[in-house]
Amino acid sequence: MVTNSPAIKLIDADFGYTKSSKTTSVLTNCNIELNFGDFVTVIGNNGSGKSTLLKSIAGLNPILKGEIVINQTNINNLSYPQLSELVSIALTQKISGFNLTCYDFVAMGQIQKSNLFNQLSNESKSIISHAISICKLTEHQHKLLNELSDGLFQKTVIAKCLAQQTPVMLLDEPSAFLDYSSKHELFLLLKELAITKNKCILVSTHELDLVLKYCSKIILVNANKINLLTVEEAKQSELFKKLSGGFISF
Amino acid sequence: MVKSSKILFLILTLLFVISLCTNLCFAGDSTISFSDFSAANFIFYEIRLPKAITAICAGSALAAAGLILQIIFRNPLAGPYALGISSGASLGVAIVVLANTSFGFLGNYFFGKSLILLSSISGSFLVTFIILALNKKTNNNIVLLLVGLMISQICSALQSILEYFANPNSLKNFITYSMGALTNASANESFVLFGIIILSLTLLLLFSKPLNAFLLGEKYTNNLGFNYNHKRFMFLVFTSVLTGLITAYCGPIAFIGIAIPILSRWLQSSSNQTNQLLICVMLGASVLLLADIVCYSINPSSVLPINLITTLFGAPIVLTLLLKNKQW
Repeated sequence: MVTNSPAIKLIDADFGYTKSSKTTSVLTNCNIELNFGDFVTVIGNNGSGKSTLLKSIAGLNPILKGEIVINQTNINNLSYPQLSELVSIALTQKISGFNLTCYDFVAMGQIQKSNLFNQLSNESKSIISHAISICKLTEHQHKLLNELSDGLFQKTVIAKCLAQQTPVMLLDEPSAFLDYSSKHELFLLLKELAITKNKCILVSTHELDLVLKYCSKIILVNANKINLLTVEEAKQSELFKKLSGGFISF
Repeated sequence: MVKSSKILFLILTLLFVISLCTNLCFAGDSTISFSDFSAANFIFYEIRLPKAITAICAGSALAAAGLILQIIFRNPLAGPYALGISSGASLGVAIVVLANTSFGFLGNYFFGKSLILLSSISGSFLVTFIILALNKKTNNNIVLLLVGLMISQICSALQSILEYFANPNSLKNFITYSMGALTNASANESFVLFGIIILSLTLLLLFSKPLNAFLLGEKYTNNLGFNYNHKRFMFLVFTSVLTGLITAYCGPIAFIGIAIPILSRWLQSSSNQTNQLLICVMLGASVLLLADIVCYSINPSSVLPINLITTLFGAPIVLTLLLKNKQW
């Protein structure tokens, strides 16, 4: 299913939200093309619209104008099950209760493949165990979600995305609560996945040093606009210098 | 199903069978004597069996409705009674039954019964969707419960206004009804009710898979390949119909809908909601059968309203959950 065509293509897209019939656009005139194999980070100040961008690409926020095309199909023409096979998302919201364990959360990634009573096949189980071991959660997998630390919970959410096995992965600030080494491990893992599994991975983050070290492309979000830059271009950009506050030197 | 779930299910089946048999033998104001066969036959088929079947229907349906509401609102304190949905249904019944005293339109038996059912289901439907709309404005478990309490208060105030103008005879019937009663359904009605409940619970079990994704909230549910709004509407229609139907026959039964799902999650750690639904159904039916036995066993000649027993059973469970210093 993975082809040479762009993984994600935004055509004149406006994103935002509608609340009690009032429309607020957060990002306007977005035009970018991302390919499979790209590991892209979205950077920008708090409240600049990074999450909105990711949620919109996942079809969770309405598109106010324009088109989102994923793997040659406009997402408006895709059903929820079809979209769930193309795009997985990790959000920042904390979830717990109802006896949910780390394993249960990761297993949600395979829910479309489970039977009528949500029982998993052996193939699904091995996919889930693999995702858990990649994220180094094996010893924590039977803990309840509220027993996990914030960092472990973030790893659980990432493992869910891995278990969903989608060609496009969208992660919203996945590294915020991770310790130093885990942050590096995560970015290394995502880079590896993008290249070896030919995935298109989009991550929003504030870790500018990691961005420069591991990513292939950067999306800068600023003043309702997005710009797609290569790492070299980003280093030259005034905006990037502003974002880093001048604390990063190359 | 994992092994421990299977054992639990087996134990609950056993509990169900025992409580059913005990209920049929002892929960009545007369003892079944085997010397007078025709009398015993009558008591068994016309009184005991319909009552037991009504208890099974009410217990299982309310527990299932409670579980689904808890999942949809992601709030272990939700339930048809706690959110005022039962009160809405009972207000629906009150409007028809008490207005009838002034207009007398319930002459036709079948028409009257259908009107009560319809009105009850509309009442629960209305409250369910009011709660859903208000839930968007608050995202707090406790506030939602208070909102439910307020709606329930509004419904009972309206109901009291109706009661104030009703004639004494229909008022007495209605008050007995509103304290919860399992004896309202005739033999034929209880069989039809049983059929409907079994059918809806079977459908619920077959469609229960999205409930698992619901635990992660709207955005993840959509991302996992389920249309959240569409599925949520379907489940809420189910719970409204179940609650409305049961409330039309038994009155608003307290605490079963909230306490049974909590108990079910304590008994089995599985987060698979299909399993939880099965356990809730078995547990709900057994608990209501047992509660009915208690109602009759204290003093067989004056039967206690079932709500007193279910409250004494359910409230401590909810209280334990609240006081447990653990995240729900």
